[in-house]
Amino acid sequence: MRPLILPVLLGALLSFFAPASVLAQRVLLRENVADDTVRSTFGPNRAFYNHAYLSYGLVAGPAGGAGAALRYGRSAEVQLGLRNKWRISQPLALGLDVRYARPVYHLAQTGQKTVPNAVLHRREYLALPQAQTEAFVRLSYGRRGNAIGRYVDALGWGGWVISSVHHYEDGASNGAKKVQTSERGLAYVNRWTYGAGARLGSGRYALVGRYRLSHVFRPGTQPRYPELPRWLLGLELSWL
Amino acid sequence: MLSFTDLKICAPRLVLAGILLFISSAAQARQGPPAAYWVLLRDKAGTHLDAARYLSAPAQARRQRQHLPPCDSTDFPVRPDYVRQIRALTDTVTLVSRWFNAVACRATPAQAAALRRLPGVRAVELRPAAPLTPASQRPAPADWELSAADRQLAQRQTGSLGGPIFQRAGLTGKGLRIAIFDVGFIRADQHPAFLQLFAEKRVVLTHDFVRNQPNVFVGGSHGTEVLSCLAGRLPDGTPLGLAPEAEFLLARTERNLRELYAEEEAWLAAAEWADRNGADIINSSLGYTARRYFPEQMNGRTSLVARAAELAVRKGMLVVNAAGNDGDDETWRTIGTPADGDSVLAVGGLDPDTYLHVPFSSYGPSADRRLKPNVVAFGRVLAAAPEGYSVVEGTSFASPLLAGFAACAWQQERGLSVMQLFQKIQQSADLYPYFDYAHGYGTPQARYFLPDKTPLPTPATFDITRHDSILTVLIRPEAAQVAAYQLPLYADSAAGPATAEKAASLPALGREAPVPLLSETARAAPPGPAGSPSLPAHPEYLYWHIADRRNVLRSYEVREVSQRAILRLPLRRLQPGDTLRVQYRGFTQSYSAQ
Repeated sequence: MRPLILPVLLGALLSFFAPASVLAQRVLLRENVADDTVRSTFGPNRAFYNHAYLSYGLVAGPAGGAGAALRYGRSAEVQLGLRNKWRISQPLALGLDVRYARPVYHLAQTGQKTVPNAVLHRREYLALPQAQTEAFVRLSYGRRGNAIGRYVDALGWGGWVISSVHHYEDGASNGAKKVQTSERGLAYVNRWTYGAGARLGSGRYALVGRYRLSHVFRPGTQPRYPELPRWLLGLELSWL
Repeated sequence: MLSFTDLKICAPRLVLAGILLFISSAAQARQGPPAAYWVLLRDKAGTHLDAARYLSAPAQARRQRQHLPPCDSTDFPVRPDYVRQIRALTDTVTLVSRWFNAVACRATPAQAAALRRLPGVRAVELRPAAPLTPASQRPAPADWELSAADRQLAQRQTGSLGGPIFQRAGLTGKGLRIAIFDVGFIRADQHPAFLQLFAEKRVVLTHDFVRNQPNVFVGGSHGTEVLSCLAGRLPDGTPLGLAPEAEFLLARTERNLRELYAEEEAWLAAAEWADRNGADIINSSLGYTARRYFPEQMNGRTSLVARAAELAVRKGMLVVNAAGNDGDDETWRTIGTPADGDSVLAVGGLDPDTYLHVPFSSYGPSADRRLKPNVVAFGRVLAAAPEGYSVVEGTSFASPLLAGFAACAWQQERGLSVMQLFQKIQQSADLYPYFDYAHGYGTPQARYFLPDKTPLPTPATFDITRHDSILTVLIRPEAAQVAAYQLPLYADSAAGPATAEKAASLPALGREAPVPLLSETARAAPPGPAGSPSLPAHPEYLYWHIADRRNVLRSYEVREVSQRAILRLPLRRLQPGDTLRVQYRGFTQSYSAQ
């Protein structure tokens, strides 16, 4: 017992009277297991995940009439968005996207053209930048760890047209090489858009197809414009 | 460089190309492209095994030594009529596993449906793709020129485990057979580090389970580096690992760039092959992580490789696996699989400079809160690379160092069963019975296995005293002496070319002849102190943890010892049933809260 008396007394004294500096020690490694092994709820195949994505799609399908014929291949939509995904089970997830979308419809310059008028130009397009939101149901297949994996999405979207532009370009005139004109705030454009679609993806890549159910032009406008093509087929790249 | 206009022109074409590609693959999907499946069979009725013919003599001896039956139903062959039926229905059979009574194959969905209807089939499971990654990093390019620091590292990587003690006792892994599963062993058959190994024909068998052919000297050099940490030598004969006289089975189980789930099958096939050919130890410096699994699945029961590793242990083989290199990856951080296996010796990485956990080494515990890693060894080593020698980092190299240690220990006590050896390796570690989830039980020590070196009780080095609401740890005065460190004349003078004569006697790299047997030179050398005189002393740290009543840690810490009053802990940090455990200079003491 005797040898223990001194350390015990010294320990007691230190406990009460030692200044903080005496107690300061250099900690070389410190781990709190409870904190370190907390099950993460955020991740590609966790309860919640979100990530940015970029999409480029081509306008496709027939126009509602010859007056709304487009230049396919150039008419396209670019999207930049944030995807939020909630996992329900290993194969099932729900999601909600918010995004900026900029569809551009390059109008074919033909004799039948009526959108938005019959005047022909060297180049002409309608741009309808939008704020959109999209809900989707995701069915994944194949076992996987914390990865996106392969999946099929059924989706429905809606958007609000932030601004509308009718842009056209003509040849040399009045000493200028070309004349570009932009008309903004188009009264004949519908401000609300919506549609449905599907997405087939693997990891960061996806093929997406959307069908616009809404009309581009207001129903009451005169003259009554034929509908622009409703399909959009494109590719998506996600930042995971 | 593409202009914006070019991009505008190209983008639609790319999109169209992508769409066409997707449409064509979708059309192919409708026809049912072949996929990989496991066909799990119901029984092995009517099959027999003549163990004496199927198992090699070393394999039979291993089972006999460990009092295991000559064979059991997992060794019986898969029913040939079942295999024939499956072959008839599928495109390719990639593996027939006796251990799991299963057949891996490629089949279309229609073929898979037909397989399910076969009478002997219990289930047909889809096998998705996933990566199996070598657990290593390469911090520096290889270099034929060895610096003093390189040579010192080579000595310390074995010295830290007590390599010289094993050498003096003539323990070099002789008579042990070690299987190495890796990505490839490029130039291992030509490298000067392995001249003696190949000259003595101690690479007994090789097989590439990825391409099903015998040549394993392709695919990658990770295996070459790993092999060198078992049996490689420097040009002056300095061993890089602890088992330079063991026999080896080299298996290629992994592709270097194109990594598929098939590698898990290859691991299983290699384990069965190693068992049949008499392997005593399997070293696997590989691990699966995030692509296929979640951290909470690292419980030793989920992955195929973990279950295969457990079966390998049941057959009497010690499985040594790298803990993983995800310690600094916040999204994973824990061990991979098969290191999560209960009977798999998971080896973490130790920093040679600080003797502390190296940051990239994966932390434990396992998902079911078992201790992982079990032990640690150097996570930065000098290894033989195809183009010379190179300092490499990774728990991949800690694992073979430990496998070599295990070979020497088993050589010393050949009658141990595999789990007895497992326990003894843990008990020999320098922190035992203390443990934490960064270092496990610490670094195993060779002296524990020497028959005449029964360790004396470690003298108490500190006291834990309670005063009211505070626990104080105070180092005893007699343990507060810091040993002086004597500088050597040259940092690498212990075994390196310290003199001009010795340097001149070394053959040029690439022209080395096999050096004399290490055990002979070691035995001929006069007995000296354990370890090299030039090796810096192991720093003495204070380790402490708080464990709950199930002995699962709540927290742990390592402190530099710069004063005797080393720790004050408010009692409120201990919950009822908790234990405070402290380790300093080999002495461990506990305080239990009521």
